[in-house]
Amino acid sequence: MHIPDGFLSVRVAAGYGVLALVGVGLACYRVRAARERASSALLGVSAAFIFAAQMVSFPVAAGTSGHLVGGALAAALLGLPSAVVVMSSVLFVQCFVFGDGGLWSLGANVFNMALVGSLVGFCCYRLLCGAKPSPTRRVAALAFASWCATVVAAASCAGQLALSDTARLSVVLPAMLGVHALIGIGEAVITAIVLAAVLRFRPELLEMPGNASVSRQRARSIVGYGLGLSIAIAAVLAPIACDAPDGLSSVAQRLGFQDAERVGLVAAPLAEYSVPGLAAGVLATVLAGSAGALFLFGLCWLLALGLVPRASATSSEQVAAPSP
Amino acid sequence: MNRISLKLGACLALILGVGALPVKHALWGLLALPLLLLTALLAKLQWQALLARLAAALPFVLGVAGLALFGGAGFERFMALLVKSSVSILTLQLLTQTTPIAELLRALRRWHVPEVLCATISLLHRYLFLMADESKRMRRARAGRTLQSSRLALWRALGNSIGLLFVRTVSRAERVHAAMRARGGA
Repeated sequence: MHIPDGFLSVRVAAGYGVLALVGVGLACYRVRAARERASSALLGVSAAFIFAAQMVSFPVAAGTSGHLVGGALAAALLGLPSAVVVMSSVLFVQCFVFGDGGLWSLGANVFNMALVGSLVGFCCYRLLCGAKPSPTRRVAALAFASWCATVVAAASCAGQLALSDTARLSVVLPAMLGVHALIGIGEAVITAIVLAAVLRFRPELLEMPGNASVSRQRARSIVGYGLGLSIAIAAVLAPIACDAPDGLSSVAQRLGFQDAERVGLVAAPLAEYSVPGLAAGVLATVLAGSAGALFLFGLCWLLALGLVPRASATSSEQVAAPSP
Repeated sequence: MNRISLKLGACLALILGVGALPVKHALWGLLALPLLLLTALLAKLQWQALLARLAAALPFVLGVAGLALFGGAGFERFMALLVKSSVSILTLQLLTQTTPIAELLRALRRWHVPEVLCATISLLHRYLFLMADESKRMRRARAGRTLQSSRLALWRALGNSIGLLFVRTVSRAERVHAAMRARGGA
């Protein structure tokens, strides 16, 4: 999902660069404000951990392989601000030491993988966890959260490509979502197994300061801020994008009218929901998407059930269910 | 202007210039290639690393460019994307291969990037190779002990070893922190 240079238009790259700067700045401020034990050492070594974990690739479908992104995992293990700092450092080093991703598109990459990925992962995880989560619930919540984070980050990436007029949204969005819905399953399974292992080896690590302190209430308010922020971003970006020939509005129109069935490709089983007309097309997509997400959540729960309890005899076939 | 700002600025300008070329005239971007190759020759870069990086990025580039091609945007845009992204990737490779991370970090500190981020990046770079070695050791240990690995067992082992790696990470961070404190660090 690392966007190289040349794919994003100057305006989009600059806009997302500013957004990324603001987000990372805020995260740095939060981390410094809540200066906790071993913070700088823990952040640095955790970043190296995420980097090493990203190098482990797993088989997805025939021939292709995905690797962990780790935003949700970092957010669950370290808390949101630390996760943002860790993920941005990883992306920075990948860009400047290994030449992965692009210079101008670093902002967009940080936005997708460090900000959106961690934020979505964190909020999903916290909201699903509740106040006093059982280990099973934790693992299920994190598995689902990491799937959501992967898919939303991919959608954000597709949105940037479409805003830059590199590819049409109606083409690039289903393609990115389709591939990353699969990769996300791999990410969810690995993340769940990692969390289960941490819970087994050293469960007290999940109660680290800065992690336990963020309650469900906070997560809810973050979701509220996030919604407000995304509306604001849309409001700011829409006029910028509109003077491009293939702007946001025309894309929305096309998305609704001609390509409703192609968008439905993401969740093909529910394609018969689509009724002619804009609202119905969008509604069908949303319905199909939510049904797919619900189904996946069920699978995540099964996975967690298989991973966590002491009954290791039943685990094998339940783990097998969600893996592609 | 010091060396690194100059270099970074030149790379940014080149990538921006190639990226801003209109689709019709994007092939002019290829004119940057001789310049890049000459610089690579002068800097005595490793060709293998350069080509390996290009090859690693190619699938994603081709994927998106292919989407543009078959999504109705046409061959011209396909070529433009290909030229722009490969020139940019080569430029970035030149930058990364000639710039040590310490130099970069010094520049970051000079530009008042928050210390939290700088410290994290420098520690990340320091422990990265250690961590990679540790995961390699763990993988070797597993390979030495596991006779038959089905796909399911493989996934479980992968996840477990990453989890164990995190546990080791935290203990290592505690040790590093103690050592830093003992030597008067933060």
